[in-house]
Amino acid sequence: MYKYILQSAGNINWMALFALLSFFAVFMISVIAIFGKRKSFIDRMASLPLEDSYVPHPENEETNEK
Amino acid sequence: MSKLEKFYYDNVIVKNFAYATAFWGVIGMTVGLLAALQLVYPIFNLGLAETSYGRIRPLHTNAVIFAFVGNGIFMGVYHSMQRLLKTRLYSDALSKFHFWGWQSIIVAAAITLPLGYTSSHEYAELEWPIDIAIAVVWIAFGVNMFGTILKRRENHLYVAIWFYIATWVTVTVLHVFNNLVIPVHLMKSIPVFAGVQDALVQWWYGHNAVAFFLTTPYLGLMYYYLPKAANRPVYSYRLSIIHFWALIFIYIWAGPHHLLYTSLPDWAQSLGVAFSVMLIAPSWGGMLNGLLTLRGAWDRVRTDPILKFMVVAITAYGMATFEGPMMSIKSVNAISHYTDWTVGHVHVGTLGWNGMLTFSVLYWLLPRIFNTKLYSVKLANTHFWIATLGTLFYVVPLYVAGWTQSLMWKEFTRDGFLQYRNFLETVTQIIPMYGVRALGGAIYLGGVFLMCYNLIKTVKSGNLIENEMAEAPARAVYVPHKGEHWHRWIERRPVLLLMSATIVVLIGGLVEIFPMILIDENVPKIASVKPYTPLELEGRDLYIREGCVGCHSQMIRPFRSETERYGDYSKSGEFIYDRPFLWGSKRTGPDLHRQGGKNPDSWHYYHMIDPQSISTGSIMPPYPWLARNDLDTTYTAAKIKVLQSLGTPYPKNYEKVLYQDLRKQAMEIAKGLEKENIKQENLDKKEIIAIIAYLQRLGTDATPKPQAITPSE
Repeated sequence: MYKYILQSAGNINWMALFALLSFFAVFMISVIAIFGKRKSFIDRMASLPLEDSYVPHPENEETNEK
Repeated sequence: MSKLEKFYYDNVIVKNFAYATAFWGVIGMTVGLLAALQLVYPIFNLGLAETSYGRIRPLHTNAVIFAFVGNGIFMGVYHSMQRLLKTRLYSDALSKFHFWGWQSIIVAAAITLPLGYTSSHEYAELEWPIDIAIAVVWIAFGVNMFGTILKRRENHLYVAIWFYIATWVTVTVLHVFNNLVIPVHLMKSIPVFAGVQDALVQWWYGHNAVAFFLTTPYLGLMYYYLPKAANRPVYSYRLSIIHFWALIFIYIWAGPHHLLYTSLPDWAQSLGVAFSVMLIAPSWGGMLNGLLTLRGAWDRVRTDPILKFMVVAITAYGMATFEGPMMSIKSVNAISHYTDWTVGHVHVGTLGWNGMLTFSVLYWLLPRIFNTKLYSVKLANTHFWIATLGTLFYVVPLYVAGWTQSLMWKEFTRDGFLQYRNFLETVTQIIPMYGVRALGGAIYLGGVFLMCYNLIKTVKSGNLIENEMAEAPARAVYVPHKGEHWHRWIERRPVLLLMSATIVVLIGGLVEIFPMILIDENVPKIASVKPYTPLELEGRDLYIREGCVGCHSQMIRPFRSETERYGDYSKSGEFIYDRPFLWGSKRTGPDLHRQGGKNPDSWHYYHMIDPQSISTGSIMPPYPWLARNDLDTTYTAAKIKVLQSLGTPYPKNYEKVLYQDLRKQAMEIAKGLEKENIKQENLDKKEIIAIIAYLQRLGTDATPKPQAITPSE
């Protein structure tokens, strides 16, 4: 079976490879980036639509004052 | 903490766009209903050129996409962006310019499309001066949006803003590339790309118009208004970010799925299929993120019409984004393409996703900016059920119609002949379903009228808070601290986010389109394919003016059921002089690529004037004005000159003799018609002669007439 997979892989052109690799890169970067964030930051971002006006929040203080 | 600053949100611009959304929704859907009725009763074409189906259909699609949904986007973006960024919009003057500019463009479209001024590129039909106006207004929107982002008080950009940014940048790129044309005169242009290249650029645009006009901005609205209406944060903010990057990256590659089994090179078709199937993942990630936001609030869905609309909208998004990738699989596409299945699929998205989300935002937003309560929750609930019922009555018969017609096209007798040789049989079979579809559209439109009544009463019961007060601290100059995550650095730099989104969406476009345009071997030449004669060229422009491409394809796929019915399958080399390409995307009538020589000129003459007299039961509109109007040849030489500049090999100084050629060919056709007892004064000067010349040329170059055999000695 591997033989056939490898044979067909030989027909894949640079566009298909570039498409796969570039998507993999964008996907992994976005996953790593977002999972590297603190929960407090994520919670603060998620609550933004609920705050039409200013709402005191620890994360808010942090980003504005540091 | 910095001192709190007092500022005011601009609700006037939000109100204006909200009114325009409802108004154009009514207009666009009424035109759609008229088009649906024309497919059941051709009398609804009203005997006028301006109201015939071919001109009305693009008016409907443009009105609902760019007027109804377009105004809905601007309403939601301007309302949510101010609140998410804690600032007033960048410029009141730009907001006003944007609003009135956009409405003027819509009015220009509503005038020019019925008059037959069209580029024939689907969803990009407007001619070049209006395209320039769109670019100017879109840039004003962009300046206003980025100006607002730059003067924000909130450091971080919520994911909805990311979707708005991606929308702006991608629509800009798409609009420019798909409208690269050379003007012939004020209302006529010729695209720089021809044939298969024009087709690829158009469907790269067309698909991404769905992606970046009907989807990404509405996902931004979903991520803002769903938490608002449910009064709880989005289920997973992390998922929304992954949803964003994966969606904008993948979407841009999927365009070629509109061209499967056509003359598009196989590699481009395969890329389109692969990325279309992959689209399920981010789309369903977004849908689940939306539905799971309602965790713990499902009891409210039973009573709150706004949440009901949102749930059905998100569910319709999920259904459409599952069905779309399935329809992109080649074996499924072989059945679905050119049929009403596609129309049904599109309307799950537009009626369900765009329509219902727009209604929910209008119901949520207007009472708040008018400082009042919704006039009648009961009426809104009634609207919800009417809209749901209308959607079902609309799409279900179209699925049945699509499957029925496709199976009839492909059915062979036991002896190997087509079971339904006459295309018309496959049309008359589905007309009852077209009737139910029109009923579904009428029901849906009835719901919109009900909403308008409810909203007018709501608005009258309150007073607009033109400038809504809010408070937030000024955005402090940020000093990066040690150990900070790098992605937070990006988020504070909207320009960088803009550039990243641009690069991500450009990757797919560049990889797919540039090789197609630059590599000649992708379009093998056929020596016998020659440019159109001046008369045929004018006939082709009449074909474009009347919107024939809305019902007739010019692309025979390599299936036995198609080659038996229409003739040899279409090759890319046959379209190298086709500016614009006219492959079409729907067969309400038969394919016409090999139409040349199939019927005598007199057949075409009678068929154009009164189709039902030739084909009993046909739903094709009559075109009697073609036999009345004199052919306008004022710009024939100018058209030939533009085509020459683009590489079409007309002889040098051809403009000096082309009118003689045109007259000669017209006289020959008119004489032939006279021989068949068609007597009409100045017949050779009428438009119908040109369109007959064009139809008789179609597809004949690659299948030349057999030469007389010289007997050998």
